[in-house]
Amino acid sequence: MELAGSGKSDGARMGIKMSQELVVVAISVILFIVFSATLNNFLSQGNIIAILKNVSILGTLAVGMGFIVVGRGIDLTMVAVMVVGVAFSIWISTWGVDFTLAVVCGALLAAAIGLFTGIMVAIAEIPPIFATLAIASSVYGSGRIVFASDVLYAPSNIAWLKFIGSGTILGIPMVVVIFGAVAALMGFFLRKTRFGRLVYATGDNPNAARTTGLPTRPIIVTQYVLSALIAFTAGIIMLGLVTGIDTRLYNSSLIYDVLLVVVLGGIGLSGGQGGVRNVIVGTILVGILTNGMTILNFSYTSQNLIKSVILLGALAIDAIINPRDEQTSQSGDI
Amino acid sequence: MKLFKNCLFAGLTALSLLGAANVTTAQETDQVGRAPYLEALKGKKVIFVPISQGMDLNQSWVVVWQRHAARYGFSLEVRDPNGDTNAGIRAMQGAIAEKPDLIIVQNPDVQTYARLLKQAQAAGIKVLQVNMQSATQTDSYVGNDWIEMGRLEMGELAKHCTGPNAVSHKVVWLAGVQTGAANIYMRTGIDEVLKANPELQLVSDQPADYMSEKARQITETVLQQHPDLCGIMGIWDNAEVGAGAAVAAAGKQDQVTIVTNGAGSATGCESIKNGLLDVIFNFNSPIQAEIAAQQISELLQHPDRQAGSEKTIFFGPITRVDKTNATGRNCWKLDELK
Repeated sequence: MELAGSGKSDGARMGIKMSQELVVVAISVILFIVFSATLNNFLSQGNIIAILKNVSILGTLAVGMGFIVVGRGIDLTMVAVMVVGVAFSIWISTWGVDFTLAVVCGALLAAAIGLFTGIMVAIAEIPPIFATLAIASSVYGSGRIVFASDVLYAPSNIAWLKFIGSGTILGIPMVVVIFGAVAALMGFFLRKTRFGRLVYATGDNPNAARTTGLPTRPIIVTQYVLSALIAFTAGIIMLGLVTGIDTRLYNSSLIYDVLLVVVLGGIGLSGGQGGVRNVIVGTILVGILTNGMTILNFSYTSQNLIKSVILLGALAIDAIINPRDEQTSQSGDI
Repeated sequence: MKLFKNCLFAGLTALSLLGAANVTTAQETDQVGRAPYLEALKGKKVIFVPISQGMDLNQSWVVVWQRHAARYGFSLEVRDPNGDTNAGIRAMQGAIAEKPDLIIVQNPDVQTYARLLKQAQAAGIKVLQVNMQSATQTDSYVGNDWIEMGRLEMGELAKHCTGPNAVSHKVVWLAGVQTGAANIYMRTGIDEVLKANPELQLVSDQPADYMSEKARQITETVLQQHPDLCGIMGIWDNAEVGAGAAVAAAGKQDQVTIVTNGAGSATGCESIKNGLLDVIFNFNSPIQAEIAAQQISELLQHPDRQAGSEKTIFFGPITRVDKTNATGRNCWKLDELK
C-alpha cells in the first residue's frame, strides 16, 4: 500500500510534487532572464559553462544527499568524508604509494566510513541526524590529527587528474560530465531498478516496508556506502579543479548548501518522494543565484544571508505543501 | 737535544696556560647575564591560542617556540580552537583563569577577543599578539605590517596593469574574511595605491574565505565578465592557487598576474613553479616566530613590569618571491625547521 503510495500512481501527490519543483524552476527562469537582461556577458556560452562548472561539486554532493533523504535519512558526514577521504589519498601517496592506488585506498576508506554510518543508522537505530553529526565530527577530527596541514596538495604530474580539472568532452568540462554521469546513474538507479524502488518504499514508511518483508536494513546501509562514495567523487572533482584539498571545508557552510539544494529542489525531508531531477533543479537555481551575486559583487556574508533566506522559504513551502500528518510524525522525522 | 728543549718548553707553556684557566673564577667563564636569564624563563607558563593549527604559518611558529621552550625550560601549551570562534573564546577564558605568565594570541578578527585581552591585561597577564591584531593593543604585536602588504600587492599589480602596454586596467581583490585584521588593514593599503593610480579599475572585491575552491569560482565568474582582466591579488597563497587554476583553465596565464602573500612554505614555491601564482609576498613565518621568541624572552624576563604598561610593535620582514627566487630559505619545509 505504502509502496504504491510513494510511486507514480499517487496522482494527487505527484501534482503537489510538480508544483514545488515548478516553483523552483520558475524562480530560476525569472532570475536567469533578469540576470541576462541586466548583467553583461551573463548569457555568454562561457558563463553558462562556468555556472555548471561551479556547481559540479555541490551538485554531485547533492545527488548523494538526495538519495539519502529519499530514504528518509540525512547524511551530514558527506563533507567530512569528502575532505578526509581525499586528504587520506594524498597522505598515503606521500609515502611513495602510486597516486592512483592511493585514490583507490581513499575510496575504500570512504566506503568503510559509509558502511559504519549505515550500520549505526540501520542496525544500532541511532537517528540519522545525530549519528551522522557525530560521525562527521569524528571523521574530521581523526583526519585533523593524522594530517599535519589543513591543505594537502596532489602530486602535480597526474595526467588523469589534470584531465578531470581542465579536460573537456565535446566542449563540456570534464567536471560537469562527471556530475552529469553521477546524476544520470543515480536517476536510473532510483527509477528503474528494484533496489531504487525499495529505497522509496523504505523512505515512505520504514515500518510498513519492514513489515512487508523488505530488507530495510541492508538498503539503508547500502545507501550510506553509496553516498560516501559519491562524496569521495566530489572530492576528486575538487582535487582536479584546484590541485589541492582544504580539509577546513568541513567547517564551512557547504553541507548546509547541499541540504539547501536538496530541499529547494523539492525532495521532502519526510522521505519517499522526489528524485534526481529535483536535485538538478535545486542545483541550477543555486548556481544561477551564486553566479549572479558574484557578478553583482555581493559580499560573501550577504550571499550566505540570501541563500539562507531561500532555504528557510523552501522549508516553509515544503511544510505547507507536504504537511506533517499523524502518520509521518508517528513514524519519525529527521 | 734541541728537540728535547723545545718539547719541554712547549709542555711548560701548556701547563702554565691550564693553570691560568683554573685560577679564573666560575663567575668569569659564565656568559654575562645567562644565569638570571635562565632563572627568569625556567618554569614559566606560556599559553598560545591560535586561529587554527592546521595552517602552515601556525605550525612553523609552534615548532620554533617549542624549541625555544625546551631549551630554556618554560612550558608552551597550544589551545587550538580549530577555526571555531566560540571555542576560541572559551580557550581564551580558560587561559585567563589559569593565570599564565604570558598568553600568545592570533586573533580571528579585530573584535572577538578585544574585551578578553583587556581582561587578561587587567589580571596581570602579559599578552603577545601574533600576525593578526585585535582592536585592543597589548604588550606586544609581532607580525605583518598589513597596510604595507596591501600596498605592496596592489603596487605590484599597478606595475603590470598601468601604462600603455597593459592588457587592461582591471584588477581583482580576493579578500579573506572581511572582519579579519589582515583584511581591514590590507584594504587601507590597497586604497592608497588605487588613489595614486586612478586608472586602475577594481572590478571585483569578494572574500574567498581563505578557500581555494571559492577563489576558483569567483575568478572563473569574473573572467567571464572581464576577459581582459589584468591582475588578481589575494591574501593567502593556499587560497589563491584556486584563482590560479581558474586562470590556467581559461588559458590566460600570460595575461593575468596573480599576486598574493604567504608564510613562505615550500607549497607556495611549488605553486609559483607550477605557474598557478606569479608573485608571493613572503612574510617568512619562521623568522616571525624567532622575533616572537625574542618577545617571549623579553616579556618573561620582566615579571615586575606591569602587564600592558609598555606596548611594542615588531613588523617582520617581507620578501618578494617570484620564479627567480622561489628557492632556499624562501621555501621552508616544516621538517627542516625542527
